[in-house]
Amino acid sequence: MKSCAKCVMPETAETLTYDDQGVCTVCRQIEFKQTAINWNAREVELKAIADSARGKGDYDCILPFSGGKDSTYTLWYVVKKLKLKPLVVKFDHGFMRATVLENNLRTFRTLGVDVHTFTPNWQIVRKLMFEALRRRGDFCWHCHTGIFAYPMWVALEKKVPLVIWGEPSAEYSSFYDYDEIEEVDDRRFNSVVNLGINAEDMIGMLDDKVSDYRVTLRDLKPYTYPPARDLRQIKLRSMCLGSYIPWDVKTQVELIKAELGWKGDQVEGVPPEYDYEKIECFMQGVRDYLKYLKRGFGRTTHVTSIDIRNGRMTREQAAELVEEYDGKRPGSLDIFLKYLGLNEDEFIETVLPHVVPPHEMPTAEQIAASRMNKEPWDFEHWPRTVGDPRIDVAGS
Amino acid sequence: MTEVAVIDYGGGNIASVVNALWRAGADPKVVARPEDIAKAERAVLPGVGAAGAALDRLRGRGIDTALDELRRAGRPLLGICVGMQVLADDLREFGSHRGLGWTRGQVVKLDNDPATGARVPHMGWSAIAPVGQGGGWFEESAASRYYYFCHSYKLTQDGAATIATADHAGRFSAAVAFDTVLAVQFHPEKSAMNGQRFLEKFLDWKP
Repeated sequence: MKSCAKCVMPETAETLTYDDQGVCTVCRQIEFKQTAINWNAREVELKAIADSARGKGDYDCILPFSGGKDSTYTLWYVVKKLKLKPLVVKFDHGFMRATVLENNLRTFRTLGVDVHTFTPNWQIVRKLMFEALRRRGDFCWHCHTGIFAYPMWVALEKKVPLVIWGEPSAEYSSFYDYDEIEEVDDRRFNSVVNLGINAEDMIGMLDDKVSDYRVTLRDLKPYTYPPARDLRQIKLRSMCLGSYIPWDVKTQVELIKAELGWKGDQVEGVPPEYDYEKIECFMQGVRDYLKYLKRGFGRTTHVTSIDIRNGRMTREQAAELVEEYDGKRPGSLDIFLKYLGLNEDEFIETVLPHVVPPHEMPTAEQIAASRMNKEPWDFEHWPRTVGDPRIDVAGS
Repeated sequence: MTEVAVIDYGGGNIASVVNALWRAGADPKVVARPEDIAKAERAVLPGVGAAGAALDRLRGRGIDTALDELRRAGRPLLGICVGMQVLADDLREFGSHRGLGWTRGQVVKLDNDPATGARVPHMGWSAIAPVGQGGGWFEESAASRYYYFCHSYKLTQDGAATIATADHAGRFSAAVAFDTVLAVQFHPEKSAMNGQRFLEKFLDWKP
């Protein structure tokens, strides 16, 4: 498999292409970000946006929040630097972990903010996870559509015309370039977020394989994007903080650790020195493992590539870490399979049509030999409840 | 809710303009009577087809006078395609026509250019380049510069009012702006997100 001459991202990564020197589009974008953008001018624009938003309604902005490093830094910046009053909106994907919940409590209390939390119907989540896995080899449809669509409904209902997200997608992919100010809108939702499946499509696809819970279109409203016209009528802007200040994960993590007592955590398949990455979801191990099965790389490839682009690691050091950490079967897969009532063979069969060539799916023997040897400290506490008495009461 | 009138002078399909303004958050009204045009909060003059015939229809229905009134009252007007060309003073299209004369310049036929593959009509997506006061209307990034064109004639002028140019066997005025008037050769209603944003800016425009 071909990979970038500068970082370690392979050709199976979505949206990447290589130039005649073999360097990938994301590396080139980051060079552009580091050298060609007038960040002082962008910061002036940001201040103007904040000034025009401040003090107008009940809240100055909506701040979609997971509790990960990026949304925590964004919230800190919005409150402390921009002096805005946000309404924090949390979409609970169902897999929050103890450390992130403690972090959130500390962050909310320290900064003094109102928090709106929404937890979607778990039986629908189960059905959506299965259908998205079957259709796209990606079970995260409910979370990704929910975290991007639900806060927009809150903005609309509360008439708050500014939504502030964290990093722009150009930081990690090439759907958008850094030279455009990325609007987190319906276009982005339909092209980057929803895997080409909208809620209306989903309604027609769902069957009763994992749950016989009846789902109608109104049940999927949290996963649909509000009508663009309605958003325009309140003159809503939905922007990334990272379009206006140069995003630098490592520096930002140090800051939230110092200012908010934010703590990192162990994550399956991620080297311990990256304890700040993806701590907000205990299904992250399954997501990254799926990526490995389909595309031949996992989270370590991604995080070490970021360090290479920022001049903090050599390609050789990265390759060693990737070798050690990517592609190990996570313990969380057993919980995931229980949620969906699948056995491992069925899981592999479901993923197989989604493998991206030239990568080839590992063999059953390779998979069996690749079990992760260490489970995160809170592994035993990750809820195994399926919500089906036949499974839950029978006991596992 | 932004009030905006779309002028129906029998000049062609206006449904796409109405729909695009609706998506941009406005409640567009289709108006044909001069008195309704003259009292509109803001107006859009679409246009498809031959500019000479369009001018005849505008004058025959008294819409030229209504547009004068609208302008005197300081209310914004957006001309699109032929709706831009009729604002010039001299049109050379199937003979010579006297335009409304709101902006100086000549409307002449586009050229073919075998070297660049430019053929008439100029139909499709082309990048515009902001000039003069165009910075406020068009965003910085390369991707935001593409608009949809469909025309055989072009406005050439000395650049006084031009806020953007485009190239088709030579540069021409892709957009002009002066006092309360904005006019574009491209079709914002057919230019996807870029056109949508442009229309939003027109709806918010307080010249």
